[in-house]
Amino acid sequence: MEGLLQLLFNGLSVGAVYALFALGYTLVFSVLGVINFAHGAIFTMGAYFTYLLIGGAVGANGLLAGLQFPFALPFWLALPLAGIAAAAVALVVERIAFRPLRDRGSDPLLALITSLGAGVILVNLIQLLVGAESYSIPVGTLGSLPAALSIAGAKVRTVQVMLLAISGLLLAALSIWINGSRSGKALQAVSEDPVTAQLLGINSARVIQIAFGISGFLAGMAGGLVGLSISIAGPYFGIGYGLKGLGVLVLGGLGSVPGAVLGGLIIGLAEACVPADLSGYKDAVSFGFLFLVLLVRPQGLLGRPQANKV
Amino acid sequence: MDAGLLEQMLLGALLGLSVYLPLRCGQLSLATPGFFAIGGTVAALLSTRVPALAGSGSTYPITSVLLEMALAALLTGVLALGLGRVVLRLRGIYLAIATIALVEILRVVTLNLEFTGGALGIFGIPQPFNSAAGYAAFTLALLALICWLCDRLEKTRPGRAMAAIRDDELAAASQGINTADTKLLAFVLSALVAGITGVVAAHFLNSWNAKLGNFDASITTLAFVVFGGSRTWLGPVFGGLLLTALPELLRPVGDLRLIVFGAVILVGPLFFPQGVITPELFKWFKPRIGGITTAAAQGVKQ
Amino acid sequence: MLRSGGLTPAPMKRRLASSLAALLSAAAALSACQGTEDQGPVNLSKGVPVGAVLALTGNANVYGQDQKIGIELSLAALNGAGGVNGKPLSLSIEDGGSAEPSANAAVSLQINRGILALIGPTLSQQSFSAGPIAQRRGVPLVAPSNTATGIPEIGYFISRVSAQSSVIAPLSIAKALQLNPGIRRAAVFYAQDDAYSTAETVIFQQALTAKGLKPVTVQRTQLNDQDFQSQITAALNQKPDLVVLSLQAMDGGNLIRQLRELGYRGAIVVGNGMNTPNIYPICQKYCDGILIAQAYSPELQTPANQRFTAAFAAAQARNPKVSPIPPQLTAQAYTAMQVIGEALARLDRRQPLKGLPLAQARKALMAEILGGTYQTPLGEIRFTPEGEVIQKNFFVAQVRMNAGGKSGRFSLLP
Repeated sequence: MEGLLQLLFNGLSVGAVYALFALGYTLVFSVLGVINFAHGAIFTMGAYFTYLLIGGAVGANGLLAGLQFPFALPFWLALPLAGIAAAAVALVVERIAFRPLRDRGSDPLLALITSLGAGVILVNLIQLLVGAESYSIPVGTLGSLPAALSIAGAKVRTVQVMLLAISGLLLAALSIWINGSRSGKALQAVSEDPVTAQLLGINSARVIQIAFGISGFLAGMAGGLVGLSISIAGPYFGIGYGLKGLGVLVLGGLGSVPGAVLGGLIIGLAEACVPADLSGYKDAVSFGFLFLVLLVRPQGLLGRPQANKV
Repeated sequence: MDAGLLEQMLLGALLGLSVYLPLRCGQLSLATPGFFAIGGTVAALLSTRVPALAGSGSTYPITSVLLEMALAALLTGVLALGLGRVVLRLRGIYLAIATIALVEILRVVTLNLEFTGGALGIFGIPQPFNSAAGYAAFTLALLALICWLCDRLEKTRPGRAMAAIRDDELAAASQGINTADTKLLAFVLSALVAGITGVVAAHFLNSWNAKLGNFDASITTLAFVVFGGSRTWLGPVFGGLLLTALPELLRPVGDLRLIVFGAVILVGPLFFPQGVITPELFKWFKPRIGGITTAAAQGVKQ
Repeated sequence: MLRSGGLTPAPMKRRLASSLAALLSAAAALSACQGTEDQGPVNLSKGVPVGAVLALTGNANVYGQDQKIGIELSLAALNGAGGVNGKPLSLSIEDGGSAEPSANAAVSLQINRGILALIGPTLSQQSFSAGPIAQRRGVPLVAPSNTATGIPEIGYFISRVSAQSSVIAPLSIAKALQLNPGIRRAAVFYAQDDAYSTAETVIFQQALTAKGLKPVTVQRTQLNDQDFQSQITAALNQKPDLVVLSLQAMDGGNLIRQLRELGYRGAIVVGNGMNTPNIYPICQKYCDGILIAQAYSPELQTPANQRFTAAFAAAQARNPKVSPIPPQLTAQAYTAMQVIGEALARLDRRQPLKGLPLAQARKALMAEILGGTYQTPLGEIRFTPEGEVIQKNFFVAQVRMNAGGKSGRFSLLP
């Protein structure tokens, strides 16, 4: 029992991050039908923004060496602000890498490459500005909470519990927004059928911007939270999550919000179940899963069946 | 320019062709780096573990390289035949992600196997050529041969069937084209090209490890085709040559190098949604060049 | 949409032939203009040319960044002391990325520029790929950070200043047992996709077994892993009283923090890859007490090291928040540059570089590098005839974090 509970905690703590990451992917996918390969870089920027806003200083390398904001915000304020800054970056990415393709009526799959280009620019810009070293959010940021909680004999780091809680809150807020607000419903309409949505008078360009904004906001928050839990491991920090997030996205069903969450938790749990002597194969687990799901149920666990477009 | 860079560009062009083949019949398969990695591993294992292949001369015999290529082609071909039947039921982005998953699974397995050298990989791969120029000449001949085969393919029945599937799969099927077999053919050919390219790359790079076929490579090789164009074989060749060379040619801009590279990848598809090289480009060029040559011929006559 | 093929066979054929011909001629032209300048004299117009190929971008970017600082400090020190008998050294640094093809391209580029010796590449895998190029072209290559077995064996022209784990790693195990003879159960972690970590863990595990401490669990991680909760709880189930890590700074720092947060109180021994103050901001107060085997100690009291640490602190002074303690990678890169600079000065006294054919100068320089003894920040070093470093001093240190957990030091253990 104790072992099982521990396994559950281990899986959920990793899975929550995967889920948060994949949510951003999924929002963009639901309206545009493509993957935003710059998402990992936006996540990374969110982490750096959080670090700077809580008063962190830039190291000795990079153009901004030694930079430090004259103020130090508390973490709970810095995190959403970093999310907003990351949302702004996501909007810029939309403007330069996605909108021109739509304006010209080009194949939407080209966005795979343009967003990759945007991601390459962002990652290298980070390195140019703040260097390659790692930064971290000080351990004491959350105040005097204990480092780990012990629940029925199973252990979990407090930071991970917070991460899980905030992810849950964000997810709930997102669901309420999608189902309860005008813009949320517009998003649903565009993802169902962009042409009809246009006929209904929905400004799809606006909806797409909203999707990017929220996706960037979630990525930024996720970056800040992961930065708190571990550290900001240099400009390539988000890239590893980008690949895992892809697996989560497909497992849950492309474009499905609850699917992204379910997918993240399943992959997190599956990875946690890999026995120690096979831990080298851990990274193959999510992709093995993904591969099988694609073959058996190509639309993913909670996705809608793929339209046979003619 | 350095012959070593030329060799890397030529390898890039070959990989571009490998991504192009399935794309020509509308299949977005990103499995190329996986088959490339298999080819490289086959070459690395055979040339370092089988003494009989080493020959008696000071350089590694080219016949042995050709033999490795044949074996790599056989292995990747059989694998692609089996996998293709399964994955080609998927379409669009789903196929792309499934093939990325395959590449990642292969990378993790290679990393975990004892005989592939784990993280360090296999090193000290013997050299069939004394200089990069020798590699470049060999690879150029290989590229020319594969370009010629692609050109032949584009004019024959299976090639036309591929184009028809890309334009409209349902219509193609209703015309009596066996779409499943045609797509499988393109997938297998793609794997063969990637596999034999891996053989050359392993010798050229002197060493081989699991990292050489990863997710990044999947997307980069796709960029070759998108950038160059996916309607004629010249597109991926051009894209592969240019995008492999670009980070090197951009060295003078120093720290901004990869930022500019990213900008080129970003802007390319915006201005050339069909890729830089399109069949229309030839139509546009032909009358002009044709006109000039006819005029010149007339000038000579007069 | 245009359906290709069939309609215009003749022009297509011409197109094919002409494009192939263009490709062929371009290739011929390109390959013809290579490798001729090696017979000319060394080009000293801008100074004595030396090159470096470092991983400034890609996953290994932080190592390249640390190395660049060391090489530039060393260059300033050498040129400040008169360069090569009055002629300044001119250094060109190129980004070799974190993969093999980019390292090969950068190495070839540097060699074609006519450099006399090369520092780099950063990663062992890159050296296995690019080393043979330097060997074929007869260019001395001093690897500053490769620890894999087989690097100097690539050929005569390949040497390194970075000692292998096999010499260093067992020292820290012995020290841990000396400090705490009661240790009975060792748990081992290593990054399975990292060449350095996989090599070092083998040495650690052999050293443990030799002391009668066969590991009770071996946990594999990936270099890019950041959450180790699963591996840690699995290991802690085995009730270890010693944890041995072969990881790099980033993943290792994170693992230590999570290990301590999840309640592990026993001894921690880490490998050479974590011999950098870059770990301080990651594991913070939890870094305190870890034992580390070092190929470089910032606390070594020799004139060479004191000069180096002072120069490093001065260079970092523009940001008072950054640790003034140099990482091992920086010290080793500094040493590689120093070795080349001193060997060049000796060569120039024996055979003036001016007018010497480039190929001959490179060959003579290699003999000079291998023949010398050097007083470096690493202590006294020299080379075996194969180019393997022979280093006099290795160290075991214990990390002592200051109150607040933001900075600390590697305190040498006797």
